[in-house]
Amino acid sequence: MSSEVILEAKNIYKSFSQVPVLQDVHLEVAKGEVHALMGENGAGKSTLIKILTGAYTKDQGSILWKGQEVEINSLKDCRQLGVSCIYQELSVIPVLTVAQNIYLGREPKIGKTGLIDHKRMNRMTQALIDQYNFPLHPKDTVGDLGIGLRQLTEILKGLSARSELLIMDEPTASLSGKEAEILFGIIESLKEKGFSVIYISHRLEEVYRLSDRLTILRDGKNKALLSRQEIEPLKMIQLMIGKEVDESEGSVKILTEKKESKTALKVEHLTCKGKFEDVSFTVQEGEIIGVGGLIGAGRTELVRCIYGADKYDSGAIYLHGKKFVPSSIRKSIKQGLGFVPEDRRGQGFIPLLSVKRNTALTNYDLIAKRALAITSKEELDMCLKAIRKMDIRPDDPDKPVGLLSGGNQQKVVLGKWLMRELKVLIVDEPTAGIDVGAKDEIYNLLRMLADNGVVVILVSSDLQELLRVSDRILVMRKGKIIKEFSEGTVTQADILEAASGLKEVRS
Amino acid sequence: MKRIKFERYSKVLLLLLFIAVLTILKPKSFPTVGNISNVLWSISVIGILVSGTVFPLLLGGIDLSIGSLMGLSACITVISIQKLNYANQSVFLGIGCAVIAGLVVGGFHGVVVTVFKVPPFLVTFATQSIVLGITQVLTNNKIISCLSPKLFTSIGLGRIGPFTFPIYLMLGIVLISYFVLNKTVFGRYVYAVGGNIEAARISGIDHQFVTVVSYMISGLTAAIGGVVLASMTQQGMASTGSGYETDVITAAVVGGVSLAGGEGKIQDAVIGAILVGLLNNGMNLVGVPSTNQGLIKGLVIIGAVALDVANKNDNKIRLFKAGKGVKKDV
Repeated sequence: MSSEVILEAKNIYKSFSQVPVLQDVHLEVAKGEVHALMGENGAGKSTLIKILTGAYTKDQGSILWKGQEVEINSLKDCRQLGVSCIYQELSVIPVLTVAQNIYLGREPKIGKTGLIDHKRMNRMTQALIDQYNFPLHPKDTVGDLGIGLRQLTEILKGLSARSELLIMDEPTASLSGKEAEILFGIIESLKEKGFSVIYISHRLEEVYRLSDRLTILRDGKNKALLSRQEIEPLKMIQLMIGKEVDESEGSVKILTEKKESKTALKVEHLTCKGKFEDVSFTVQEGEIIGVGGLIGAGRTELVRCIYGADKYDSGAIYLHGKKFVPSSIRKSIKQGLGFVPEDRRGQGFIPLLSVKRNTALTNYDLIAKRALAITSKEELDMCLKAIRKMDIRPDDPDKPVGLLSGGNQQKVVLGKWLMRELKVLIVDEPTAGIDVGAKDEIYNLLRMLADNGVVVILVSSDLQELLRVSDRILVMRKGKIIKEFSEGTVTQADILEAASGLKEVRS
Repeated sequence: MKRIKFERYSKVLLLLLFIAVLTILKPKSFPTVGNISNVLWSISVIGILVSGTVFPLLLGGIDLSIGSLMGLSACITVISIQKLNYANQSVFLGIGCAVIAGLVVGGFHGVVVTVFKVPPFLVTFATQSIVLGITQVLTNNKIISCLSPKLFTSIGLGRIGPFTFPIYLMLGIVLISYFVLNKTVFGRYVYAVGGNIEAARISGIDHQFVTVVSYMISGLTAAIGGVVLASMTQQGMASTGSGYETDVITAAVVGGVSLAGGEGKIQDAVIGAILVGLLNNGMNLVGVPSTNQGLIKGLVIIGAVALDVANKNDNKIRLFKAGKGVKKDV
């Protein structure tokens, strides 16, 4: 590894509507190094990358490319410098071949005719493939390839455009273990050839294995820059979470098992092929059970199946001792289940409809009808009750929910379930993108529900939230429950360690 | 806030403006009972059709088959009457068969759209020619005239007071459509599914049922419209309703129904239909040669829709800005 610096971002500041997201952030990437970028959700990683690739403009600071100050205002600027970014959502076109994708928009032409020279294009692609030793064929249609090979096509596209720096954002999130191995091999060989890589991942073991240096961001600030020798799993965890493990509030919790209560929900050997496998757990009345794990661990898939939004292959669910088959969502709701989905904007509410109509959406069976007509007074009363109970602002029942702030939107989504008799409430990342005040209100509400005997299943990537709210914590990894914390002291580090599978790597 | 209020009443204001302009231009011929009755009569079929077709439109779908379906319904009615020797009962049988045909075709659309996930544009585009073909076979591609019984001809031509019967029928159907969309649970579900199908599904709404029924309603009103048109023209012909789908969708869009779904009001769509009717009427009264009318109509439609879209985009931006806090950082 030479010490020549290829990219340097200095004193980067960025805020969204007065909320600072990045404050005085530095990032320095040397030629031929894999530089990992880590941090919890909301630490500012994606924002930093979007600034480097021209998707956002920085408020302050400078970016230096090989020592020269540059302005990056678009993806095109960034490509021209020699930076290519491999996003989680790939930009390759499925109906085209590997070669067509790689030379998209700059196809070699036959003489001056303007016709594409397919033979030459395929030859050039083959040469590239040979040069970097990728398991690809120029004439394969990209849509027929697995997700891993599509990603390699995208990387090759970047390399063909003479990129010197590759930015990879969670590249292994949707790859199988085998595909990830191939990718790691390629990253290592690229490193040897003098390419630089910015590698963003939640997965500690990958970072541990690949990276030469590691920048850790926390709350929009630089927290640490570790060199290869300094990268140690436990240290990484501590730096990411940011608190000394057994000191501050929210990072430790002493769990005590409830013994007197009745079992309310029992899940036995629930399996959905390719998503989760043989999941069993029980929850007692009035218990909040936290489900932790990394993105892609199968948590969302599991709770969606319990709610009836997706179908599972085998296994059984028992609700208060009786077998419960979630054959339709309507039925689940009738049985007393409620669900707050992870993707609030996409699945949580109808943006054009008012607070009133969104609140009533699941509850029309409770509103009296006169000759088929909904009694508008009852509909309004229900909404006013929800507004009062959830403290929704502004307290206008006719305001379209799309115009509310994120926190208030979530309050509407949650509020509609409080209008019903609930037995089980499933909340998936309930406070993502929500301000601190609303977070507290939501936590208090979940606790209040539990005190009234409702089972709350909380899926969360926010470790502090998991520890603060849950009575018991399950950790999932690769579709299985691998750890349960039910008694004794638990720290954020314990959960992260279990979720990332670091133990497996070290042993 | 001022802006939102203006948006809410903009259609009515536009209508009043239109009426005022025409009254000033043609004070003797425009504001007469006879002329108003004429305008309403000419848009009554469109009003009936849009009351049903607004359902798939609110779902973000479309129904292009309604013109052909009107032809089928018209021919079924006329043939039934003819086969039963123009007896009064034959009218009921004919209408009954036409309505069933409308519901079946609509149900077919709904099932193909929701179960086989074929885009509504393609499904209804295909049935447009399928239904036209069926009617052509049925009628041997001939015009079947039908001048009696009186029970049949008075559907389209009968008068109650100053207005013809189709105007009352339109009013009745618009009111039913208004009731279903605004007062019933089903109406709420239509807006929910059109506004965000995933969120609607997660909330336990049977979106497949809502979709199928919505297309059936559109087929039903097309069938009724076909019967009315057959009675007005006293004949049945396969192509009798062709072009109506354009008029209906124009009325809906001018009335502010979003083709993306989830947004729009039946009362505004009817105002849209009246505006289109008034435009036609006004051009005739002012003496615009018929050769130029198509040109002007087209330009006015583009103008109206462009204005509406500009307004909507503004709204979307506001919706987006409000949702910025949801930004995901992975």
